[in-house]
Amino acid sequence: MCTTITADQEVFGQNVGNFGKLTPKMHNYRESILDAKPYVDPERAILTTEAYKKYQDQQVDIIRARVLEHVLENMTIYIEKDTLLAGNQASHNRWAPVFPEYSMNWVIDELDTFEKRSGDVFYITEEAKKELREIAPFWKHNTLEDRGYASFPPQSRLFYDLGLIGADGNITSGDGHIAVDYEHVINNGLVSYEKRIKELMKQLDLTDIKQQKKLYFYQAGLIVINAVRGFAERYADLAEEQAAQTIEKKRKNELREIARILRKVPYQASSTYQEAVQAIWLTHLVLQIESNGHSVSYGRLDQYLDPFYERDIVSGRITAEKATELLTNLCIKTLTINKVRSWAHTEFSAGSPLYQNITIGGQTKDGRDAVNPMSYLILNAIVQAHLPQPNLTVRYHHGLSDHFMRQCVEVIKKGLGMPAFNNDEIIIPSFIKRGIKKEDAYNYSAIGCVETAVPGKWGYRCTGMSFVNFPRTLLIVMNGGKDPESGKQLLPNYGHFTRMKSYAELIASWNKSLREITRQSVIIENSCDLALEQNYPDILCSVLTEDCIGRGKTIKEGGAIYDFISGLQVGIANLADSLAAIKKLVFEEHRITAKQLWQALQDNYQGEGQESIRQMLINEAPKYGNDIDEVDQLIVDAYQPYIDEIAKYKNTRYGRGPIGGFRYAGTSSISANVGQGHSTLATPDGRFARTPLAEGCSPEHALDVDGPTAVFKSVSKLNTKAITGGVLLNQKMSPQILRSAENCEKLVMLLRTFFNRLHGYHVQYNVVARETLVDAQNNPDKHRDLIVRVAGYSAFFVGLSKETQDDIIERTEQTV
Amino acid sequence: MTIKQGTDKTRKGLIFNIQKFSLNDGPGIRTVIFFKGCPLRCAWCANPESQRKKTEKMFDEVKNCSTIVGKYKTVSELMKIIMQDKDFYDESNGGVTFSGGEVLFQAPFAIKLAEAIKARGIHLACETTGFAKPEVFNEFYKYMDLVYFDCKQWNPVLHKKGTGGTNELILKNMQTLVASGRKYCIRIPVIPHFNYTNEDAKQFGKLFRKIGVTEVELLPFHQFGLKKYTELGREYELKNVAQLHAEDLLEYQKRLQEAGVKVKINGW
Repeated sequence: MCTTITADQEVFGQNVGNFGKLTPKMHNYRESILDAKPYVDPERAILTTEAYKKYQDQQVDIIRARVLEHVLENMTIYIEKDTLLAGNQASHNRWAPVFPEYSMNWVIDELDTFEKRSGDVFYITEEAKKELREIAPFWKHNTLEDRGYASFPPQSRLFYDLGLIGADGNITSGDGHIAVDYEHVINNGLVSYEKRIKELMKQLDLTDIKQQKKLYFYQAGLIVINAVRGFAERYADLAEEQAAQTIEKKRKNELREIARILRKVPYQASSTYQEAVQAIWLTHLVLQIESNGHSVSYGRLDQYLDPFYERDIVSGRITAEKATELLTNLCIKTLTINKVRSWAHTEFSAGSPLYQNITIGGQTKDGRDAVNPMSYLILNAIVQAHLPQPNLTVRYHHGLSDHFMRQCVEVIKKGLGMPAFNNDEIIIPSFIKRGIKKEDAYNYSAIGCVETAVPGKWGYRCTGMSFVNFPRTLLIVMNGGKDPESGKQLLPNYGHFTRMKSYAELIASWNKSLREITRQSVIIENSCDLALEQNYPDILCSVLTEDCIGRGKTIKEGGAIYDFISGLQVGIANLADSLAAIKKLVFEEHRITAKQLWQALQDNYQGEGQESIRQMLINEAPKYGNDIDEVDQLIVDAYQPYIDEIAKYKNTRYGRGPIGGFRYAGTSSISANVGQGHSTLATPDGRFARTPLAEGCSPEHALDVDGPTAVFKSVSKLNTKAITGGVLLNQKMSPQILRSAENCEKLVMLLRTFFNRLHGYHVQYNVVARETLVDAQNNPDKHRDLIVRVAGYSAFFVGLSKETQDDIIERTEQTV
Repeated sequence: MTIKQGTDKTRKGLIFNIQKFSLNDGPGIRTVIFFKGCPLRCAWCANPESQRKKTEKMFDEVKNCSTIVGKYKTVSELMKIIMQDKDFYDESNGGVTFSGGEVLFQAPFAIKLAEAIKARGIHLACETTGFAKPEVFNEFYKYMDLVYFDCKQWNPVLHKKGTGGTNELILKNMQTLVASGRKYCIRIPVIPHFNYTNEDAKQFGKLFRKIGVTEVELLPFHQFGLKKYTELGREYELKNVAQLHAEDLLEYQKRLQEAGVKVKINGW
């Protein structure tokens, strides 16, 4: 029998279910952030424009370094009265800076509608609008978006414009989706990078143009390191100034300590725990001033922070409470980072998420359980802060203790949608198989939400390339390659569904067509990557990623040790259920003709007798998520052509240094299931036109009627080993069930089976009661800190559009 | 399905539900097989659709559709479903639980199924009223790793009144079970106006001491079955009786404990 974990059992001083409370200081700080209204902030845009004008004759690496330097030297800085960590992204907390170099057209187009959005509302002052309009002309035909569009071959552009392949984030933002080497930053300081660059610079033979190019990268590297150092000094000066004006002794000392620390880190190596946390925060922050790519992640925070914590504990410099307070401070700071996206992109990323991930647990490089005191403190901090950011992932492995698992379940019960679990037992072997060194594979972390990479050694976007809409692809295939909505012929005509004689015929055209779409997605991705490489290198991010300095290359030029990428395939469950319904009801049992079904799809099931067709499709065909082999196998087979095809296409860094240079499949659809659902007509699974698709690899909601074991079984039949970009499974659990300790233990057993025996990749739980959500929809003010799991991340419920809210309510289990 | 198949007592069993990941029917992760048909007619029964030993129609007024309750299934059909969650049983030390209805009412088939389950090394439990001839019970319980055994009334007359049968066979079988050393759990469904007085608790305590029962679980009366009576078009006598919650049974628990029995309340 599984041992019962009782509340009085202690590990690292932690009782199950006891997380402690925010200190009054952090309570106040959190309140101030929750109160802060998100505004569009033009400051960075103005500074960036100035720098671009001033340095436009320089090589691109230098331009990018100078831009960051100019922003860091001149942007507004402040230290709030209740913080122990310094560093702000914009001129006020929760204000979202504008990054004009990536895209400016939508910013100007949407100036007057930011406040009128149905979700993810941003405020903007008239003054800000004016300032942004003033700089806009400089960016005409001069942004990533413009350059990306210009580089799309015409046929591929069609797929993008019609929304069949989504890449809005790739073309209107920086890359992100990365964790840099924070372990190295805190242990060695930025000075270590500076030293290495200086040494390598000396060895350059500038008669070789390749080496001359390296020179620019190195010069740029030195500029940004110096800029970060100067930025820290600005905070040190400010802290001293504030200390001088502060009478209250405790705060005065805190400010002096902040000043002392920022004179030292992140340039120098950190010696104390607080120094390390400050160094991490400032670096993490600057990466998100350098670029607005999201999913910039912390990596394995418990692993690299724990030695600092334990040293300070032993020396009596810090207590567990104080260490936790600093962690909550870090969490709240993390939430201050904001990003304004175009409305088109917002539909794919509802809740303005930044997906800043913290990963804990897992195994050490030599395969031992890696849970340490810091892992528990991070759980405490996440519960105390109770915020949608950072995004917490626990790395599961079979040796993870029941005590730690139970503590994780207690966190799940808090309704944060966290932690999510990633599974070492599948991810590590599949990494090793792809050529990742064993000690690196054991050191992976989650990036953003579901996807995984080796922190500090992996290029951008282990996932997060383009989105391919599977159900809509099916409709195009059924329509002889013609998009039913626009009437455009996108794919070769392999015959119309209404004239098909067998399921095999449909699948044959699906296979060929999906391969063509896959190729188009590669062309779109490469176009984005080309424009990013040529014009938007992230110098700091590259410096902090091994082996960019060694190779004298940015990440985009092939500087990283590993470089595998993946896109996101959306609507897995809809495709599965559609295929099952067609196979059974049309071709096997002849309950409806292909013509009747096609007509019903065109009419969105509104025509006469079509509702009963829809009911038949829903009720009388087997559904994915119920451990029914005949339907599960259909999706496995239908997905495989994508998996095979995408593996053929190298990314733009192939052969330029990194191990890999390939692509693989991924399913962490984030909220793209809503956005791509909008552009998808009615589907043969009985889904109405324009409604959301199923998310990730989760079954369509309310159709997984055989309980969680059946869901796990169905999901585990997917070719998980090949879908290295992530197999996202969102599960719901009623809070009532988790009230008893016995049931919490059963949840642990359920997870263990999924991971140990079925080799699942990922799962996360939403336990907010449906009634609470409905109440929050009606009384948003009462629930401003209500957090829900949207897909691979958590968000404030009240900030979502009504449509996304409805989708979540519908997905949430009704409690008895 | 035809009745003929159903009457072949070992070939097919009449099953009205199969629930995976069932949480309150034994250790670990379990699949519960619900046997249809029960010799008793307890007034409070929360699964009235489980009582008759034949398929029957249930009509849902809200959805305006009727469903047929009960399906005849072979051992191999059931084993296929049971084996789907084998990994979960193995990881969690879980298994299968027979519930009902009354599994003993289909003992020959249940034993066949139990043999197949035990041959796969799966933990097997059952929930039973214990209402069966001793020779049937004696053969059946030996396949069980754990028996949940209901004890509804200490008083034979009241037992007959509330359930339609006397408790004579039940107490005899309970005694056999307790003496066998097999793992068991005696459960009392605590029902207002039937066995909810302090005197009832005291008498139950006396009875248990006599038989040698040391641990008991209390199941507070609930109304989860209310809607089903309407759907079946049947009268429900306890329609207006209020539900009991864990806190309502504290006094009752105390009385039982005074008789030296360990008592757990399995309620909400």
